[in-house]
Amino acid sequence: MKNQKDMKTKSVETALNSEEPKEQKPQQQEVESNSDSSYEVFSGDDSSEDVGSSEESDSAESGSSGDEDFVNEGDSDGLENSGREDDGSEISDAHEGVEESDSSEDEVAPRNTVGDVPLIWYKDEPHIGYDIKGKKLKKKEKEDALGSFLSRVDDSNNWRKIYDEYNDEEVELKKDEIRLIRRLLKGKAPHPDFDPYAPYVDWFKYEDAKHPLSNAPEPKRRFIPSKWESKKVVEYIRAIRKGWIKFDKPKEEPHFSLLWADDSGLTEKANHLAYIPAPKPKLPGHDESYNPSPEYIPTQEEISSYQLLNEEDRPKFIPRSFTTLRSITTYENAFKDCFERCLDLYLCPRVRKKRLNIDPDSLLPKLPSRKDLKPYPVTCYIEYRGHKDAVTSISTEASGQWIASGSTDGTVRIWEIETGRCLRNWEVGEAVHSVAWNPSSEHPILAVSLGPDVLLLNTGLGNEEQQTKVKELLHVETPTATHESGERTSIVSWLRDDKYEGIRLRHFKTVSSVEWHRKGDYFSTVMPAGESRAIHIHRLSEKFSQRLPFKLHGLPVSSTFHPTRSHFFIATKKTIRVYDLLGERKLIKKLDTGFREVSSMAVHPAGDNLIVGSKEGKMCWFDTDLSSAPYKVLRCHPKDITNVAFHRSYPLFASCSDDCTAYIFHGMVYSDLNQNPLIVPLEILRGHTSSNGRGVLDCKFHPRQPWLFTAGADSVIRLHCH
Amino acid sequence: MDIDGDMEGSSKRVQVRFVTKLQAPLKVPTTSIAVPSNLTRFGLSTIVNNLIESKNPDWEAEPFDFLIDGELVRMSLEQFLLAKGITAEKILEIEYIKAVAPRKEEDPSPHNDWVSAIDGSSPGYILTGSYDNLGRVWKGSGVCTHILDGHSDAVTSVSIISPEGAGSVTVATGSKDRTLRLWKFDVEEAINHPLKIRAFKILRGHKASVQSVAAQASRKMVCSGSWDCTINLWQTNSSDTEGGLVSTKKRKVNDQVDEQLEGEAVSTLVGHTQCVSSVVWPEIESIYSASWDHSIRRWDAETGKDLSDIFCGKVLNCLDVGGEGSSLIAAGGSDPVLRIWDPRKPGTSAPVFQFASHTSWISACKWHEKSWFHLLSASYDGKLMLWDLRTAWPLSIIESHNGKVLCADWWKGDSVISGGEDSNLCISSGIYVQ
Repeated sequence: MKNQKDMKTKSVETALNSEEPKEQKPQQQEVESNSDSSYEVFSGDDSSEDVGSSEESDSAESGSSGDEDFVNEGDSDGLENSGREDDGSEISDAHEGVEESDSSEDEVAPRNTVGDVPLIWYKDEPHIGYDIKGKKLKKKEKEDALGSFLSRVDDSNNWRKIYDEYNDEEVELKKDEIRLIRRLLKGKAPHPDFDPYAPYVDWFKYEDAKHPLSNAPEPKRRFIPSKWESKKVVEYIRAIRKGWIKFDKPKEEPHFSLLWADDSGLTEKANHLAYIPAPKPKLPGHDESYNPSPEYIPTQEEISSYQLLNEEDRPKFIPRSFTTLRSITTYENAFKDCFERCLDLYLCPRVRKKRLNIDPDSLLPKLPSRKDLKPYPVTCYIEYRGHKDAVTSISTEASGQWIASGSTDGTVRIWEIETGRCLRNWEVGEAVHSVAWNPSSEHPILAVSLGPDVLLLNTGLGNEEQQTKVKELLHVETPTATHESGERTSIVSWLRDDKYEGIRLRHFKTVSSVEWHRKGDYFSTVMPAGESRAIHIHRLSEKFSQRLPFKLHGLPVSSTFHPTRSHFFIATKKTIRVYDLLGERKLIKKLDTGFREVSSMAVHPAGDNLIVGSKEGKMCWFDTDLSSAPYKVLRCHPKDITNVAFHRSYPLFASCSDDCTAYIFHGMVYSDLNQNPLIVPLEILRGHTSSNGRGVLDCKFHPRQPWLFTAGADSVIRLHCH
Repeated sequence: MDIDGDMEGSSKRVQVRFVTKLQAPLKVPTTSIAVPSNLTRFGLSTIVNNLIESKNPDWEAEPFDFLIDGELVRMSLEQFLLAKGITAEKILEIEYIKAVAPRKEEDPSPHNDWVSAIDGSSPGYILTGSYDNLGRVWKGSGVCTHILDGHSDAVTSVSIISPEGAGSVTVATGSKDRTLRLWKFDVEEAINHPLKIRAFKILRGHKASVQSVAAQASRKMVCSGSWDCTINLWQTNSSDTEGGLVSTKKRKVNDQVDEQLEGEAVSTLVGHTQCVSSVVWPEIESIYSASWDHSIRRWDAETGKDLSDIFCGKVLNCLDVGGEGSSLIAAGGSDPVLRIWDPRKPGTSAPVFQFASHTSWISACKWHEKSWFHLLSASYDGKLMLWDLRTAWPLSIIESHNGKVLCADWWKGDSVISGGEDSNLCISSGIYVQ
């Protein structure tokens, strides 16, 4: 509508200036009056009255203001107003109107005798100020409330009346004043003639003017986009992108917290990760009501059944019904409950424990299944009974038909493995420390260490040729023995033992162990108390003994020959030393066990690996090619390990301990040097009983079968088969 | 008929008919009768006994065993039918046989030491070998007729070569003294006290203890397995002219010139890598051997070639060939399982039967001579067990020994003889095996 009007005015404006506004006014007023319809209730008959011309109202207005200067001005304005349609004049006119209305209250310079004084000062005074001469300006007598009310009710124009406090008089607003106020209230321009959408009239014309103000052509800048603007735009874009300028801040929602809500979800909001809010106490329910429904009230039987319950299961509160709130007794547990709640709030450690979520099984190394590693000894089928006391040592014959055992009851026995029959029994009269069967199948000779002696016994097995050979070997000329002993070099005397038809080697200290070389000619003996002369190597064929030409570091425990090379292993309490017996005759390797006390040692049949058992129940595997530190330490026995053993052909090794068990391990050594030995624990063999705090004293594998013999302090030898 | 009131209608009934191959007094009418399906072997036995008694009033009750479709009944009928998927609609034919169980335990015959070997292949006598280096001949329980004296170490195995010679029998013994000895004696001699006899031939050649001896069916040769991993074949004849004879020694013993021959092995079968623990020679051409190297081998006796191997995974101690067509191989060893192989089955070395009721090593196993199904086993757990291939449970368990049983055999077809660690020879008789 307005646009159309603008268009019209633009087209017409050049032609007729004076008539146009007249056409416009009534239209606008009509619009206004239509819009005013909602005020009809207020205006009452006023609305029915048609609005007069603007000049009239203006003049009347100016007249009512009564001030001379203003009247003049207003008049002149009014006149001017009537003469032309200038926008500026209209604004000034509207402005004037506003000023006028203000002047009636604030700056009524001529009339206001009071001055710019807060009227509150005169609130309780009978006067409201002073005039120019200093006389008091009396307040008008006020009508009493009833009278004023009645007069107000009676007077239909009462709503137009405003009390002017400064002048202490009632002012009746005129129609146009009210109209003005209404327009102001609506946010419109106060003067009804003002058209905020008046068409813009450019008085200056470029093309057609005969004498243009400037003949200069339109500058180029009017047509090209502004560089400065585009720069600014780019700047803004950058700022927006970088987040320097932010708009549309999300409205902050009012934060309410649910008083009774579950707090468990609140932890994410809390800054402390470990913070766990205390649980809220339970809300009272129907049963806590003073007069609950009968179904909440327990019967007498139920109450008595509560007594049978455990203290903690018993309900804390038994619902009861009261006729009135008044008759409710005090809750006897109130203090107790409060106290407990407080205790819970400040004493209960609400800490989120950080748990590593690791599957413990995944940490274990991947080992092959035990089933794939069969055969290995599992069950005990045969027991060899006959010894009267702890069996200290056992040794198997090379073919696997016989086993020899030595016991603290002073006997050495040979058993038939297959049937468990005791074949021979030598009464040697002294506790046997160690027995060792000659590894050569041609020499069925048994070496037995008892006290300071080592006995070489002819077992009587083997065919006639072997027997004659053995008899030859075990023949010692008595004078030779004395001669030998007289010599300075020999500390060991080779004596003929007629009782057992063997040789008795007399040492100067107790011999703890005897170990044969694989060819069955040499054997070594260990005397732990022998200090520098603790280890000897004997040669059976020459009946010659020799002290080990190396300095010993520590107390020797056991000694072994290398299964293939001319190396010799000596275990002292803490270390294992490997010496070369031929060639350079020097220390080759020193292996540090890290144990307090080594008890036993066994060399892998290939010779590069060895296992060492200790009195702390630990066993370690050395790969001599790898390092001088243990490749693996196996902590399996709770008590001393008494012996360890390797199987000759199967990849098995075993340890036995004073805890009456023997452990079987799979110990695979690969010929590939890059591959480390594979060690898998296989089986725990039990069955021996403890005697005098000792358990299993010795274990040996069968030379051909995956069977293990264990000798126990309970005087039994057991055979464990696969 | 004789089915009494305890068979209520609540339990299902099965129509059965009892058939048997037993002789006349044990036969029952072949009419079908309805029996409750929850009957077990004991219940069936009662029924059959009652049926027999109805015809024959002075009949004494006897345990029976029942076969349905060639399988021994070891559970209630209902379970059996369910397990085997046999319909109960038709009339069920149940064959009954006398239960295989010893009915009499004879007094043990004491030895001086462990009884290590036994042979009962001759019905007239029992041959035993003992750890006291002697072999003994028993006519029955407690009646020792001959003592075979000569070995210098424990006798590990005995074998009867010719059970009934004309007045004399030949036996062979193997010992831990690395020799075999052949003996001849006359069983029929009536003697009051045991007669000591000497070997007529000593067979030397093994380098280690002889573990097992077996005689050829034709009685001309014996073979022996030993700890030196070999099997040696020997001639048994006593004449000087024939082969295998090396030297003749004349000895003067007890004012009497005694002739002792010495023999050498005819041939040696090499192949086992460990102790040959058991040999059998059931047919002239083939020898079976079991060894500690976990294998059972069949050898051609003529050429000495290894024909077939069965690997078991366990050390084997005993071996016997018998059963159906005398071709099933039963062996036991270092575990409580008695295994039976069928070498006729191509391409498999898995045992066809496994009997695992023992609790320790098996020391002996023997097939029954006549029956295809029955065998016995002896174990270090002190028990003898009788087995039937038609059921997985032992038919009966004989616990006559105190300690390990080291050897066992059938005798006369109805007795089990065994020797063990308690130095006794035990005879359990009255076993009816068809």
